Amino acid sequence: MAASKNTILYEKVVKVTHVYLGPAADRFIDRQVQNHLHKPPQEISPQDLLQLIDWIRVAVSLLTEDNEIVEEYAAQLRQLAAPKDASQTL
Amino acid sequence: MSTPTRKKPSRLRPLQIALGLAVAYILLLFVLPANKIAMHNYHLSSTQYHALAFIVLLPLLLIWLVAFYSYGKLEQYAELIQKTPEGSDFLQLARGVKWLAWGLVIPSLVGIILNSIANARHGFLSTALITVNYLSLIIPLIGFSLMRRGAQGLTDHAKIRLSMANMQILITIFVALGVIFCFFTFQHLNLHSLGSTDNPYYLPGWLLIVTLIVPYLYAWFSGLLAAYEIVLFSKEISGVFYRQAMRLIGGGMLGVIASSVGLQYLRSVSPRTGHLSLSSTLVIINIIYVLMAIGYVSISMGAAKLQKIEEV
Repeated sequence: MAASKNTILYEKVVKVTHVYLGPAADRFIDRQVQNHLHKPPQEISPQDLLQLIDWIRVAVSLLTEDNEIVEEYAAQLRQLAAPKDASQTL
Repeated sequence: MSTPTRKKPSRLRPLQIALGLAVAYILLLFVLPANKIAMHNYHLSSTQYHALAFIVLLPLLLIWLVAFYSYGKLEQYAELIQKTPEGSDFLQLARGVKWLAWGLVIPSLVGIILNSIANARHGFLSTALITVNYLSLIIPLIGFSLMRRGAQGLTDHAKIRLSMANMQILITIFVALGVIFCFFTFQHLNLHSLGSTDNPYYLPGWLLIVTLIVPYLYAWFSGLLAAYEIVLFSKEISGVFYRQAMRLIGGGMLGVIASSVGLQYLRSVSPRTGHLSLSSTLVIINIIYVLMAIGYVSISMGAAKLQKIEEV
């Protein structure tokens, strides 16, 4: 059950990344998770997300000098955890 | 999800090959005897002829280096992503660019050797010109076909459809290009006797039409279609950073294909003479070379950006 939730999270991360890296999105996320979090990409959990976003921000900064777009991407990834928190506060 | 296969980079290899070929060409240029007709036409000594030929051909040699570097970069990227869905398409594009690069070198090298033989034995001139004309057709034809296949694969994978309005524009450009080409080419032929070889192509008219004009038209249509599909893919594919890189590749390929078509067009409409010729055609050829160089540089930059995306 937890594994399938994590797979859904992985797919959401890839979906957001697709907007910035197109067909290279899944490969990019796989590399970040495997190289920095040392786990299979589909097993990323909400607890891994902030650390993953930090690594993604570093990696994407190497592709562009446009800091605005890097922050926009990171903000979209952070939102993946946000809706659940928002519903709890209501 | 599989990560891309990483092969040992061979970044300088194509560039080294091009450098070797350029050195060989320069050596041949200075070692082979000067062309008697050109020396007579321009009142040149043998040394002056060789120096002038070197200056005239220098831009071509520089294009070889840029073209080989460019296909090397694209091939490197294609190998990096070869196990991904779009890997085989990029490999086809890289091979297409490779054939176009070799299409600059082989006819030039073969031409300088055969023309030198024709310089000593005038009866050989027709063989030399026919061989170079066919080489100039066949090698880019293979390149355009491979690029077309790669471009079609990319648009198919991305589910991008060609618009009917744009296809109509493309076909109109192609028809106009073809009709003007036939008009200029037929001016060199004896239309009263299509079997006559008394023309600058040294081929009977019917053979020229069947084996040069029709394949040229097919090659140009393939090239134009490939250019259109690559530009379309680069505009419509998702991914801000990916699209930026693809736009460089798309624009570059458009430049390379358009200039290759332009060069073939010019050399067919204004037939080769087999010797150094300082005419207005030379100026146009050099302008085309500049466009071609910009195209190849743009492809290299785009491929480097795409490669970086796969490496960070």
